[in-house]
Amino acid sequence: MPKLKKAGERGISLSLRFSLFLAVLVSTIILVVAAVLLSSGTFTAGLRQSEDAVKSELTLAARDIAEQYGHIAWQAISLARNLSQSIAEKADSINLSTSNLDEHPELLEEIIGGEYDKLLFALQVAKSSGAFFILEATVNPSHAQAVNSRAGLYLKNMEPNVVSSSTPNITVLRGSPAIARRRSYALHAQWRLEFDVSDAPYYHRLLAAAGANPELSLSRLYYWSEPLLLPGTSEEVMLCTVPLIDARGNVFGVCGLEISAMLFKLSHLPGSSTYQRLFFLLAPLREEGIPLQESLVAGGYAARVAAEKGGVLVISPTRQQFYLYRQGESHSYLGMHTVLPLYPADAVFAEEQWMVAAMVPQEDIMGPITRLNLLLFSSLVVLAIGGILLSLLLGRKLFLKPIAESLAIIKSSDYSTAPKTKIPEFDNLIDYLALHNRELSEKAREENISFQALDQFLEKTKELSPAEYSVFSLYCQGYTAQEIAQKLYRSINTIKTHSKRIYMKLDLKTREELLLYVQLLKETGREIP
Amino acid sequence: MVINFRPLFLVLTLGLFLALPTGCAKRSQEPTILTLWHNYGGQLKETMDELIDEFNETVGLSEGIIINVTSISGSAAIHDKLLMAAHGEPGAPHLPDITIAYPKTALLLAEKGLLADLEQFFTPEELAAYIPQFLDEGRLNGNLYVFPTAKSTEVLFLNKTIFDRFAAETGAKIEDLQTFEGISRIAALYHDWIDPQGPQPTGNGKTFFMSDSLFNFALVGTRQLGVELIDDGKVNTTSPEHAQVWQAYFKPAVLEQAAIYNGYAADLFKTGEIICATGSTAGVLFYPQTVTYPDNSSEPLELAILPYPVFEGGEKVALQRGAGMCVFRSTPERERLAAIFLKWFTAPENNLRFVSSTGYLPVTKEAFGEIMSREIKTVDHENIKALLQTCQTMQKEYTFYVTPLFEGVDQLQEKYENCFKEAAQRARESYLERLSAGTPQDIYEAVADQVWRNFVAEFQ
Repeated sequence: MPKLKKAGERGISLSLRFSLFLAVLVSTIILVVAAVLLSSGTFTAGLRQSEDAVKSELTLAARDIAEQYGHIAWQAISLARNLSQSIAEKADSINLSTSNLDEHPELLEEIIGGEYDKLLFALQVAKSSGAFFILEATVNPSHAQAVNSRAGLYLKNMEPNVVSSSTPNITVLRGSPAIARRRSYALHAQWRLEFDVSDAPYYHRLLAAAGANPELSLSRLYYWSEPLLLPGTSEEVMLCTVPLIDARGNVFGVCGLEISAMLFKLSHLPGSSTYQRLFFLLAPLREEGIPLQESLVAGGYAARVAAEKGGVLVISPTRQQFYLYRQGESHSYLGMHTVLPLYPADAVFAEEQWMVAAMVPQEDIMGPITRLNLLLFSSLVVLAIGGILLSLLLGRKLFLKPIAESLAIIKSSDYSTAPKTKIPEFDNLIDYLALHNRELSEKAREENISFQALDQFLEKTKELSPAEYSVFSLYCQGYTAQEIAQKLYRSINTIKTHSKRIYMKLDLKTREELLLYVQLLKETGREIP
Repeated sequence: MVINFRPLFLVLTLGLFLALPTGCAKRSQEPTILTLWHNYGGQLKETMDELIDEFNETVGLSEGIIINVTSISGSAAIHDKLLMAAHGEPGAPHLPDITIAYPKTALLLAEKGLLADLEQFFTPEELAAYIPQFLDEGRLNGNLYVFPTAKSTEVLFLNKTIFDRFAAETGAKIEDLQTFEGISRIAALYHDWIDPQGPQPTGNGKTFFMSDSLFNFALVGTRQLGVELIDDGKVNTTSPEHAQVWQAYFKPAVLEQAAIYNGYAADLFKTGEIICATGSTAGVLFYPQTVTYPDNSSEPLELAILPYPVFEGGEKVALQRGAGMCVFRSTPERERLAAIFLKWFTAPENNLRFVSSTGYLPVTKEAFGEIMSREIKTVDHENIKALLQTCQTMQKEYTFYVTPLFEGVDQLQEKYENCFKEAAQRARESYLERLSAGTPQDIYEAVADQVWRNFVAEFQ
């Protein structure tokens, strides 16, 4: 501080002033550039591009999913019409009613086996991963689990995504082994003879809805289940079920088509090459968020992480179009979602809302944007530093150095032999100083002569006697001879005698000449001893 | 003090110019998407999905590779699709970058010049880590076209729950199942024990044993006895060893002690129609944990997995099965990236994660040793745990035999299977028709002789 204070007292050097000026100038330019970039949205351009990319993926996926689910729902309805009529006719032909199928379990295999072809046809036309029907009957009413056991047939297409359907890989998931063997189809690894409907909303809810709304057509009665694991199986499936109703309005079972988790995943693989971990999610729309356990996902590893961790994805809006989906503390995704209409507005289950979401792990979107912005920011900083250094370097070479050299020339006083600075202002100044110097030298030389006479005059005053010096001193003060005589109480003659001797010793001729010397002595700051 | 700014200035300027293009280059680098077809469907799919997703997330991310599974089909469907695509059939899908294929499929693809020789992407040290027989199986015409990823062999599956009940009443021993002759004896004993329990006096359809592949049964059986079933591209049905092997299945089949079924034995396990079968280790997940009867009642099933049986006096030989992965020719860079995936997928720790949840066998020497022993302890699935223990034993004691590869082997195999089953079915029907006319042995001999001669003649 004292140094600074001292420096302040001395003033700020030209070099420091120049450096500060450049720093302020370059910083101002960079700040203006940064402000322009900020206001033009350069820093958020990456985010907007990401939003556009995800939005585009979501639009395509939502359209494809809506088409697939619509197609399967329609095929399930067609299947229900066919099966309802066919089973009722079959029952009639053997003197049975659809309402008392459970009273003749020995006939179930024949009834069920007769519908095999219709089921297989529906499975293949719908391009679904499974087709089934369940009757309100069981092969063994006396079995302990009979209350929750229902006979039926469930065909699974193990390769629903295979392009060529010439050799579909069909297995029987539920149903009589005899039916499978007649068609040379294998039993599924998780085969069971009958359906366990102990926890089957796709069955009970639908039967209840069909019973309560006898006036509604099948296209208003179908039901999409949440993704679920059928008892004894390991793959999540979404079922579209439709009630089986005979001509008399008797509801005697359900039929449906399946979209397995694998089919969903393979049908809706994200095509984004920008975001490898983008995934789609089909889920019921809930206020608390997206229930992952009740969702189907299509995508990569991130989707697996999301699905396996379970829980709810909490949705929060952001300042942009993106929504933030948080899965606990550890995983966050950015993305968008849209409502997927699975039912007509006047359908029984129309209030059940579904959504399709496209999401990307937050770090996948923000990481590159942050890195890009960091790069941009770093570039500005580097540009600022580089700009200052370049200015200093060029300033020193092209500005400060010539000034210093010019000042050195000026300080040297040797203007006559000084080289040209090639700075017109300084060259003019040096020329001017050179001229002025010459004039001063001439004047000084002249003045130097006068000074010698005065010095000699002063030297001569030392030869005066005390009486003569008293008279000389009064002459110097401007007194006349008469006045000096009176002042010194001497006669005028005495004074004149002293005056003669004074004039002789000082080599003067007149009193005016004496007074001129006195005047010159005063002007040159010399004192009369 | 005079500061020399020039070096600093130069460094900063250079850094600035280098940083800008580097940042842009990273942004523009697109990953290479490699398509994959595999046949690990059903319960195997989950494990496969996890591994592929993990690869994409780790090595794939750093190397710029995305493995995209575009088809999951059975091996037969994949074979058909590959050939359709290779022949440019209408409606055929585009060939993938990587596919699961058996050597027989690979041979057809290689002949069309569609496959990349994978040897070039592996150093000799890397290849030395794999079990040589597995690599040899994938070498066709001197080039490594089928890279071993997971192999299988055949073992004996047993419904121990029912067998124990049966053994307790009849004195049958599980050790009898070490030989095919022993199995035939036990099958007869089981038939005598189970048939009277059915609703009908006889012919209740309960058999003891089944082989998933009668061709493999004959192929390995004759090899155990020291001869080759296939001779110069034809089935040698005239050797005494083949007759011995044929009889070991044919007779129980005719006498309703062994199943004649156009499907997998696991299906018959589900309904309790058989309790013992030879089949691929890869089928272990298809074996049920309960047996369900026609009246919808069921009981838990404890599955025992035993080494592949051996004919009395024969060598311990078992079949080596399993497809590998082939890489289609594209660009050297795509082929190199595909090889990176194969290396990762078959690295011992990843390979064992796959096999320990699927019933396949690992392909590296390291994975078969201590690592496997450790892995077995961590496996939750009891059937797979038992399977891996049995496979470890077989790896030490058995010689593994590879089906000879030649054009038409598929058709020959199919013909053998069909002829065998048709012969057994016809003979059984004839046997059952005449059953009331004499002793079972006499009737069997009466119907078997002609059927046998017809069968032999079919392959002359």
